[in-house]
Formats: sequence, C-alpha cells, structure tokens
Amino acid sequence: MRFRLLVSESVRSLLANTSTTVAATMTVLIGMFLLGLFVALGSWMLAFSDNTKDKLLVKVYFCTEVSCKQPASLEQINFVRKQLDADPLVKEVVFVSKKEALDRMRKRTPEIVAGLTSNPLPDAFEVKAVDGANIKQIATNLSSPALPPGVEKVKDGEEVSARVLQAAKIMSTAFGIATVVLLVSSALLIANTIRLSIFSRRREIEVMKLVGATNWFVRGPFMLEGLICGLAGSILAVLLLLIGKELVLPQILGQIDSSSGVQSLAFGLNALIVIGVGLTIGVLGSGLTIRRFLDV
Amino acid sequence: MQEQNLETQLTTPADGVPENGASGMATFAPDPGGPLAGAQGSGTMIVFENVTKIYEPNVVALNEVSFVIDKGEFVFVVGASGSGKSTMIRLLLKEMEPNSGRILVGGRDLSRLKGSKVPLLRRNVGCVFQDFKLLPNRTAAENVAYALKVQGESKLSIRRKVPEVLSLVGLSERSESLPDELSGGEQQRVSIARAVVNHPPLLICDEPTGNLDPDTSVGIMQLLYRINRAGTTILMVTHDREMVDKMRRRVIALEDGRLARDERRGGYESE
Repeated sequence: MRFRLLVSESVRSLLANTSTTVAATMTVLIGMFLLGLFVALGSWMLAFSDNTKDKLLVKVYFCTEVSCKQPASLEQINFVRKQLDADPLVKEVVFVSKKEALDRMRKRTPEIVAGLTSNPLPDAFEVKAVDGANIKQIATNLSSPALPPGVEKVKDGEEVSARVLQAAKIMSTAFGIATVVLLVSSALLIANTIRLSIFSRRREIEVMKLVGATNWFVRGPFMLEGLICGLAGSILAVLLLLIGKELVLPQILGQIDSSSGVQSLAFGLNALIVIGVGLTIGVLGSGLTIRRFLDV
Repeated sequence: MQEQNLETQLTTPADGVPENGASGMATFAPDPGGPLAGAQGSGTMIVFENVTKIYEPNVVALNEVSFVIDKGEFVFVVGASGSGKSTMIRLLLKEMEPNSGRILVGGRDLSRLKGSKVPLLRRNVGCVFQDFKLLPNRTAAENVAYALKVQGESKLSIRRKVPEVLSLVGLSERSESLPDELSGGEQQRVSIARAVVNHPPLLICDEPTGNLDPDTSVGIMQLLYRINRAGTTILMVTHDREMVDKMRRRVIALEDGRLARDERRGGYESE
C-alpha cells in the first residue's frame, strides 16, 4: 500500500514535470554514455599495453647445422634453460622446437614454407619478462660476457618496446585522469539538474511538510524519481554504446581480430558499471540534494 | 447594530455554502481520540510561557510573551508587520525553537518533542495561509486528499472524507477544478478543507482573508466560525480591522515582539 503510493506519487510528478524529467534523463544519458565509452576505451588500452608487453620477448636461437656447423646439444639447451630460470627478471621460458617454429611460419606465410625442402629454423626459447621493460637486461645477462655455447644469437625487441611501453603508459594515465574528470563533472552536472528540478518544486515540498509528511515521505518519491531517471538514462546509454559497438566500430576498424588477445572489458560488465553508476548518482543525487530543502 | 448584524450573518451560511446541519458539523469536530486529546474537555490548547525568540544577530522577534489559549477559543492575533506574529506561528509549528521560554500545544511541551514527532504535531494542527499554498497541478479534491495520503490513510477513507469536507466548505461542485480555475475565495476554502480534513483540534490561520475582497472574506470567516463552533480552537493572525471589530472575540495584540494587549472581547485597536 505504502509502496504503491510512493510509486504513484513518483510517476505522477515525473509525468507532470516532463521537461525536468527529460533533462535529468538526458544528463544521465550523456554522462553515462561517455563513462561507458571511456571504460571501454580505457580497458582496451590497458589490454593493449599488457598484450604488447607480453609480446616483448627475448628470443634465444640455438645453433643449427646451417648456422654454426653443429646443432646445439640437449645439454647446452638445458644449461641455457637453467640459467634463464635462475634469472629473477624472467617470468616464463617457453621452448619452441624447430618443428613448432615451422608450423607457426606455415600458418603465417604458407607460400614460403611450401617451397622449403628442409626445415631451416632453429630450436628456440621464448623468454617472457616479469616486466616488459626489462627484456634488454635479460638479453644482456644471458649474452655477457659471451654467448653460452650452442646459442646462435639472442634477440630482444628493445627498439620497439621502449616506445610502445612509454606510449601505453602515457595513454593509460591520460585515460585514467580523463575518466576521473568525467565522473566528477557528470556527477556535478547530474546533481545540478536534480537540484534545479527540486528547486522548482520547493513549494510542493513546503506543502508536504505543512500537512505533516514525514521526511521520508517527502524524500521517497524524489529518490525514486532519481532512480527512474538514472535507470532510464543509463539504459539508453548502454543501448547507444551497444549500437556503437555493433555498427560503428566495425566500420572504423574493419574486421576485429578477436584472437589477438587485445580485448576491452566485456560489454556486459561495462554495461553493469554504467547502469550501477547511473542509478547511484540518480538516487544519491536527489536524496542528498533534497536534504537541505527539508528544513521547513 | 453592526455586532448584532454580523452575529446573525456568521451563524447562517453564505450563499452557495450548503448547510450541513448539526450532524455535518459534528463530523468535523476535533477527533477526541487524537494525539492532542489531552487538550479536550476544559483543558488548555496553547500555552506560551515567557517565550523569547531572537533572530541572529540581535533582532528580538518575541520578547517574554506569555498567554494561555483554552480549548475551543477563537483568538485573533493582531499587530503591525514585524511585531512577531509570524514568528509565533512558526514556533507553534516547531519550525524553529524559542531562545527561552516554554510552548505547550495540547499539553505537550514542544521543546521536548522529538524531530521525528514533528510531522505528527503538524497533522494535528491545521494551517491556513494567506497565499493558500495549494499544489497547482492537483485538483481541489486531490489537494485535500493529499493531506490524508501523507498520513497513510486508506483509499476508502480518503474517498469518504474528501467529498464530506468539500461539501462542508461549499465546494462539492468544484472538486475536480484545478486551483487556477478557482477564485481566491474558493482556493482558500480548499485550503481550509485541507486543514480540517484531519479533524485537528487546533486550526492556525495566517491572514486567511489577506488576499480576498471583503465579501469573500465574510464567507471565509463564517466558515471558520462554524468550524470553531464545532469545537476546533482557532488562532487567527489578521490585519482585517473590520473583521476583528465586528466579531468581538479575544484579541491578542503584539507590538515589537511584546504582548501589548490581551482582551476577552476586544477590537483591533485598544479602546
């Protein structure tokens, strides 16, 4: 009974104050759309920089008949492995055999592999660093003072890596700051819209208090309205984001390579964040704003 | 001559105000079981005991004001602007606290009333204002119903009580009109209906006729008179000199925050 009264009062004033309802909903919509966009882009950036770091490998190529007359022996390979395992900077060492290397190459460039009569590729280690920034150090540790026996060469992606990592760092910092600024400004914007709508209804609140409405009776419908506007605005924002994701993004980027491992935050999760923030701002915004009008 | 004239005027309804008869009035007597029930019988309704209210920094709105109003009285409060009348009303509704002194409404010390109980106090004190304070987007009936909804009354009882009180104030025909579509007098009747629909033992009127022409004012006064006759205590702040002089009721006069005069059957100005 109480609840029905609350709902009917809220719906009534939402309909009676169409312009403020629309304004509040649109404000939430814009704020939450931008938030969703930033969360998606930001998490994509993070994934991208993680992925790039992962790709930064130290490659240790072992000798083959072709490269140094004599292929590396099993002992030599194990020796290198032990040395790498002992290095605290190393996260993971993966052995890529000649055969595997050829298989990979076949996948990437089948026309070249088709012309080969034998497998010219060496056995190799792919060494992942705990921190991508340290790959050069790992390579130096391994190759100084001299390359271990059986190793043809040690290759690191330093040239690319430093720049990529720096860019990624700057970008993710920028995105972090932008997201915070955005959150704060949209919260202020929404709070302001709510304050305007409550201000225009001071008289109503005054009358409510006069006829003996409890504070919660006054606050309830306002907060429910905030909730409804927040919900409507953020659901619309999610819809817009979905349209953007499904229609606009493929147009810009072409076919998205989903196997690359560079993924933004799952859309569902992003949508949940957007709706959650929208609801919270709606309810808390109106609940807190109305407090100062309750002292009649 | 005038006094006699008005007495008869006030006891018979104005044109367009259907007389409900004794039974109708009985319905709008104060609720004997209500929270201010202690005020029933021969008790007192309002007690002001050396009440002082000072606004920051040092404007003295009320200065050691004391008076007692019994249950069932009809009291005018007069005084120039800034004499402390509005402060008195705000104190009675516990919109603010006095700096010193004690205020009792229906036997209850307002300073001991917890904030959460203030809405209960206001439900038992009807209020009528110069500017009506109606909700513009609700019809007359909805405005009255609103006071009941706020208290969590059932739809059934709202449907029963609203037409009853609207017919008391003579607005049965206009119950579906919005405030905009009503005349000033009619709007004030709606606000009186809203104030008394809860059967409050006390009705506070802040210049209820301040915005109305003299003829309409007489109608409103007749209505208030009838409500008072049914047992409701009425405290009315007014500037309407003619009305006070005609009615010859108790008059409390304030002057610069002090109680200047308190006469049983007084006029607007001391004689």
